[in-house]
Amino acid sequence: MSSITLTAGAVRPITSRAARELNAVVAVAARDITITLKSPATLVMSLVMPLLMMGMIGGNLMQNMAGGLDFNFGTFMLVGMLINMLFMMTTMGMVTLVDDSDDNYSAELLVSPVSRYSIVIGKILGSSFMAIVSCLGVLVVGLVMGITLAPWQLLGLLALAPLMCLSGGALAMIVMGVIKSNKLANMAVMMITMPQMFLSGVIIPIGNSSGVLMVLSRILPMTYCVDLGRAVVYAGSPDFDSVVLFNPMVSLVAIITLTVLCLIVGTYLYARSEKNR
Amino acid sequence: MSFSVAEGEFFAFLGPNGAGKTTTISILTTTLSKTSGTVRIAGYDIEEQDRQVRENIGVIAQRPSLDKSLSAEENIRIHACLYGLYGYRPTFRMMPAEYRDRVEQLADVVGMRESLFTKVGKLSGGMARKFEVVRSLMHTPHVLFLDEPTQGLDAVARHDLWDYLDRVRRDWGTTVFLTTHYIDEAESADTVCLINRGRIALCCPPEEMKRSLGADTLEDAYVDFLRRDGADHLDALELGRETAA
Repeated sequence: MSSITLTAGAVRPITSRAARELNAVVAVAARDITITLKSPATLVMSLVMPLLMMGMIGGNLMQNMAGGLDFNFGTFMLVGMLINMLFMMTTMGMVTLVDDSDDNYSAELLVSPVSRYSIVIGKILGSSFMAIVSCLGVLVVGLVMGITLAPWQLLGLLALAPLMCLSGGALAMIVMGVIKSNKLANMAVMMITMPQMFLSGVIIPIGNSSGVLMVLSRILPMTYCVDLGRAVVYAGSPDFDSVVLFNPMVSLVAIITLTVLCLIVGTYLYARSEKNR
Repeated sequence: MSFSVAEGEFFAFLGPNGAGKTTTISILTTTLSKTSGTVRIAGYDIEEQDRQVRENIGVIAQRPSLDKSLSAEENIRIHACLYGLYGYRPTFRMMPAEYRDRVEQLADVVGMRESLFTKVGKLSGGMARKFEVVRSLMHTPHVLFLDEPTQGLDAVARHDLWDYLDRVRRDWGTTVFLTTHYIDEAESADTVCLINRGRIALCCPPEEMKRSLGADTLEDAYVDFLRRDGADHLDALELGRETAA
């Protein structure tokens, strides 16, 4: 041990509450991004996932079932897959909250003087990094399949990406708030994401859905995320009415409402479960 | 239970397994809800002013809480940002010089500067524990909660850790709240509080405890007291059964 005398340090803490919360969001998100960058296997999985989803499932549908549609199925599927990846990978990334609880890192987070919402939002944004990597994979697979988007269409989707990720992460929080087992959390996330992929119109059009399937599609946040994404991409196109289901404002309001609701309920459940474990 | 700890005091909270030590410390550090009563830390109510309480405390939990995927410095950097000490930057070099100096100074004191950028998962339990202490002291807490901080450490690591913690108390005047199963660690405490079956059984300076129980060491006094308390408890249970019969 050295004989250095400890000094308390001339630290000038960030005084603004908003700036402190924002700094906490950035720090929590940066932690997840750092972990992802240090894990080549995670990055590879993020890139392989689009190959399976877009290349195999989408490719087969395009070759065998898209003949009778009055719009280009490739573009329809590419947009759906991009939104699906943002939503699904963010949701899957949120499972690490259970790991944090197992490793006791959640104790470090929850004993810090920041809002629980900052921790959760930071976690969602950190998880969305993997989602963005997957989107790059989707674009590459799309390019190989001959499906591309114009730069302005990509920029429009990029602008919506944080909202889509927040929506997926907020939905996952409901599950993370009640499940404390990693195995169970992974299963629950699959149960959330897989049905949404088919019910939200990611690769299968849902314009003619009726009955239970129609009701289910209307209560899923991803339906509105996918539709808003398509509204941006197909803006000004003659295919707009064939592809887009709702007025973009309706989708936007639905996404924001469902996201805020899930975020409040999920954060409450998570904080409560951590406090009573 | 009811007790108070003065500013700058070294307070040892001892008791057998399942006595309620970790539960008490979890309530005091705002990570567990209390069912009733009032708790104030550094003058702040833990329910109504939990943010202020968290700003004023440092916690070394019983179970290690460093992120094993990150380096020790990355763990410390995130902690510093969560406490609003510095704005987050993606690398150590990009952080303000003030932060870098402080981290290096604290790492030097525990003799761990060379391991600062090593992944925590590759460090030994003792090394990781030292970094955990460094992390918890980054924001200069007024009260430091140590929940069995030396559990699983070898004798040398324990000695080094206490050397460091003693220096923190001496230089910063930090109030220390300790729970431990190594009773000798509480010998230098200002107050020792014995908890058994969820209630405080005895609370006084260690010398007074040894004198009143006629023991040479605090460990002897502790064991002797728990045996007597346990015997009294068994007697009471026996009496209760007989009365019921």
